[in-house]
Amino acid sequence: MSARGAAGARPASMRAACAPVIAAAVRSHPDVITAGADGQALFGPVICADPRRYVEAGIAETNLVAMAAGLARTGWRPVVGAMAPFLIRRAYEQLRLDVSLPGLPIVLLGVGGGLSYGPLGPTHHAVDDIALMSALPRMDIYCPADATDAAHVLRACLPPGRPAYIRLTAREDPPVIDPGEPGDVRAVRTLRAGRDALVLATGRCVAEALAAAEHCAGAGLDVAVAAVTCLRPFPVEQVHKLARDYPLVVTAEEAAGPGGLGDRVATAVGGPPARVTRLCVDNRYPPVGTHEELLAFYGVDRSAITSALTRTLIRKGDHEDPV
Amino acid sequence: MSSSAEQPSRHSPSAEHRPVGPADVLAFADRARLRVLRLAAAKPLHVGPALSVIDLLATLRLTVLRDRPGRPDWPDRDRLLLSKGHGAYGLYAVLAESGVLTGDLDRLPGHPADGLPGVEAATGALGHGLSLGCGMALGTRLAGRPGRVVVVTGDGELDEGTNWEAAQFAAHHRLANLVAVVDRNGLQQEGWTEDVLRLEPLADKWRAFGWSVAEADGHDPAAVRSSVTALLDGPGPGVLLAHTVKGRGVSFMENDPGWHMGRLTAEQLSTATKELVARAAARPQVVGA
Repeated sequence: MSARGAAGARPASMRAACAPVIAAAVRSHPDVITAGADGQALFGPVICADPRRYVEAGIAETNLVAMAAGLARTGWRPVVGAMAPFLIRRAYEQLRLDVSLPGLPIVLLGVGGGLSYGPLGPTHHAVDDIALMSALPRMDIYCPADATDAAHVLRACLPPGRPAYIRLTAREDPPVIDPGEPGDVRAVRTLRAGRDALVLATGRCVAEALAAAEHCAGAGLDVAVAAVTCLRPFPVEQVHKLARDYPLVVTAEEAAGPGGLGDRVATAVGGPPARVTRLCVDNRYPPVGTHEELLAFYGVDRSAITSALTRTLIRKGDHEDPV
Repeated sequence: MSSSAEQPSRHSPSAEHRPVGPADVLAFADRARLRVLRLAAAKPLHVGPALSVIDLLATLRLTVLRDRPGRPDWPDRDRLLLSKGHGAYGLYAVLAESGVLTGDLDRLPGHPADGLPGVEAATGALGHGLSLGCGMALGTRLAGRPGRVVVVTGDGELDEGTNWEAAQFAAHHRLANLVAVVDRNGLQQEGWTEDVLRLEPLADKWRAFGWSVAEADGHDPAAVRSSVTALLDGPGPGVLLAHTVKGRGVSFMENDPGWHMGRLTAEQLSTATKELVARAAARPQVVGA
């Protein structure tokens, strides 16, 4: 598993990558059905092939989620897509009571998770989606690193067999996963080897971590980067073993802290808290900015990851001034 | 769709295996009422909402819904959802009286829980049932199966906005196999619905959302049966505004919001039981019951 295969690829949209995967699942499985809330980018190929297999709920996420639960209770396996902030926050009670508690086979696709809607503002940001979904019983949670990863996750989750949330971004993302060798989406995938520190990142922060590691290499630090796409069930043993080899572990995620990658890594690693440096989104009101600018504002971009690595490693006296 | 074990079957007329008349339904419902009252003497529960909805639930189960005795998970059954989950003990008592639920009812949760025979989904967080029913009705239709869905809501429950999302959805998708029955007892937890948050003109609202509307005395089994059956035979979703009395059947509970939740003293239980027995005695004798 390496990032090399993705190096020459262009930024790509998760939605565009996922749409044909969903259509293929609908084609192959007669009990898979799709449903959306006035956002058909994910379901265009399904609608073209068989409009009966797409259910339009309009801009009404609470009804969408409970209605999908009703579909599931009559034997269908729904794939539901909507904008992440509204799917998660507005329909949270339906997600809990109608989907996760009974453990229905529904895959939920949240478009625009994290800060990926950028300048559309905090109404459209969903930095709390991971935390909220983490509080739901029986809910698997995936945070893909790029378009290739998102399609790969979807292939692993379809046809739906249990409740799962997959966070998708809203725009095009830099490629980090080798399409020819995507690896196991439920495992930690090391994209860059290194011996001085380990960065565990999820979602868009994987690209930021790789850029930070590259920057650190220029300064003489040898930093490993691994992608963690599956936040639940979390690969506890694997993280524990991997982290054991490093004096410093940095986590990076485009999400509020509770229930997120940093929380889970800290628990898995155990030991003194200082060993894990957690970079996540805090509660400040965001300025108007692009996705990248917001990652920088919240201190989860390449520059912040670089700082976390160099600051700690210098203090430990492991290296000469690397900057 | 491959999950259903059985092929679609042609249905017999409603409840053909249980020919019952209005008097049978009312006698059945009063036996269910007694179960609720005895439970409410042991612990506080939503007794008023249960008594208001029991005649509706009994009518639907005995004269409208198609099922297979002993097979509550029969895939082609008609589904009954009690969206006003605080009427749980009304549902439990009706299910127990039908033989679907067995064992101690007093161990059951205060709102219908998943996994209980005859309970289609956990309800009680208000405003979920109609959306669940939309999915069930659509899922059944898309699968080419014959099952129909009846969702019983409270009237106060209609304050919840999701109901109206579901109402729009059902009309847009022409869910002819879906009927909502509103337990229009006029009261919600703190008082009259028209004082808490005005619902009227309620029939006009449903019509404006594209639903067929019927109104009936919710304690008249014949009227409820014919209304619901007609709505289920209609071209789109239908709603019955079933005019009921909260606390129906017990004089000191009727129309008293104080009995939304309550516990009966031994003396109150005795009085209530006598009233129900007297009412049953005054009713014309049921032939063949």
